[in-house]
Amino acid sequence: MIPFIQTTLDGLMVGSSYGLLALGFALIFGVMRRLNLSYGPSIMIGAYLGTLLYIKFGPPTYVVAIVAVAGSVMAGIYVERLCFAPLGVGAGVASMVSSFAIWMQLEQASLLMLPRHSYPFPSLTGGELWSLGPFVVRPDYLIMLAAMLAMSAALTLLLYRTRFGLGLRAIVENSLAASLSGIDVERTMLKAFALASAIGGVAGFLVLSANQQVTAMLGMWATLKGLIAMMIGGLGSIPGAIVGGLALGVIEAHSQNLFGPQVRDLAAYAVLFVLLVLRPGGILGTTAVRRGMGQRGGDRWTTT
Amino acid sequence: MEAMLEIADVVTAYGKIEALKGVSLSAAKGRITCLLGPNGAGKTTLMMSIAGALKPRQGSIRLEGSELVGLSPARIVGNGVALVPENRLVFPQMSVRENLLAGAYQRNDSGEVTADIERMYARFPRLKERREQLAGTLSGGEQQMLAVARALMSRPRLLLMDEPSLGLAPIVVKEIFGIIAELNREGVTIFLVEQNAHLALQVAHHFYLMEQGRVTFSGNPGELAEDEVIKRAYLGTRRSAG
Repeated sequence: MIPFIQTTLDGLMVGSSYGLLALGFALIFGVMRRLNLSYGPSIMIGAYLGTLLYIKFGPPTYVVAIVAVAGSVMAGIYVERLCFAPLGVGAGVASMVSSFAIWMQLEQASLLMLPRHSYPFPSLTGGELWSLGPFVVRPDYLIMLAAMLAMSAALTLLLYRTRFGLGLRAIVENSLAASLSGIDVERTMLKAFALASAIGGVAGFLVLSANQQVTAMLGMWATLKGLIAMMIGGLGSIPGAIVGGLALGVIEAHSQNLFGPQVRDLAAYAVLFVLLVLRPGGILGTTAVRRGMGQRGGDRWTTT
Repeated sequence: MEAMLEIADVVTAYGKIEALKGVSLSAAKGRITCLLGPNGAGKTTLMMSIAGALKPRQGSIRLEGSELVGLSPARIVGNGVALVPENRLVFPQMSVRENLLAGAYQRNDSGEVTADIERMYARFPRLKERREQLAGTLSGGEQQMLAVARALMSRPRLLLMDEPSLGLAPIVVKEIFGIIAELNREGVTIFLVEQNAHLALQVAHHFYLMEQGRVTFSGNPGELAEDEVIKRAYLGTRRSAG
């Protein structure tokens, strides 16, 4: 029993990083009904800028964190201006494809900055372990868990208690009516994009500092894990992102424990497949950020 | 008569197809101006062009002298123009109260916004009863009231209404037109698209007729009622509604 619980705990801890990544994804998907494949590579730009600074000058860790988040936001805004803003409402596929092209661009830019496969990254806790009775937990993952819960609470408050959130939800429901009500659709979308990238930047920083290294796989990893976690939990839903992230972490941990590391990713995809067949809207099918852009296809994604 | 809205030679096109082929008209300050016309005449296109949701290819749209063409819809709302769109377009998954707040999105006087919401509740008691209900659960008439109230929340100088009677029961339509007349008495300039000429005759001070993207008639209610063509097409022998 104890190994089982320990594995579950490990899964929950890793899952909190997936949940954080999925939060940013859910915000973009929930608001714009667009898939931003460059989400992970934007995080990578920030992380690589932070790493470059760390290697060259060895600044305090919080400076690295700020640079990582700021870099991610800048890259996110770049992606929004290039792939999403010019294409307008209703160009979901075109913007997804163009965000894939920018993925390659951002990844290559990162590799030009730092060409080796992996580099050291500063740790927040020195990688120590805490014992809780018979169980072992890692404090840097507890930080991640706390960050995930705090951010989802903040995001919920932002959406339901502020003017910006009201505008965002109005755009989700009907972007034409929103603009006729005086809501600046383009600016609000850009802000939402920047916010999602900031969340991604925080997730990236926390994950890397837990790993104490950054690798060239980061962009792909962040996009895939965030996307899968969001799909498992419920497309465009904030609680869904958390549930999906934690579920993905636990599934991976147990399948690795039972069948070995080769099966880990396979198991995650298998679960996603079964879930999409049985429950295409994800575990929490009702979304917090509801409906499509106007009438277009929104309900297809959010079965109840 | 001083003009609130002056539209000159406006051309708006969807791709190569010109929906407005050089429209010129004006709406007098403090009055109700009504635009009649068959389906496909370009009435909604004109409303959307004024509100900035469609960009005219040429021409000018002036609000008390200042040009609106080229401004974003949000800026046009800021300038004092609010459109009650065709089919109402309330935010269905937001409460009645949130819909009203969305209408006041650009305002920074939160105390006055709260007071205005109370005024809307006083004017539309049904909305007050349902203030925490999702707008999508309201009846068509209630949604129309909400769309009007949402537009008024921006405190417009000019209220544009695109077929407010569309799809509503006659008794509800009567209520809506009562509200239009009342708003006008309080000083709001109204530019209205309406298919029901009988109803519009009861409230509007000036009429335009649009056909195939052009203005083909301009006159006061007396002239409208005497025009043989309009009589046949729009007033006919029907003596129902209103």
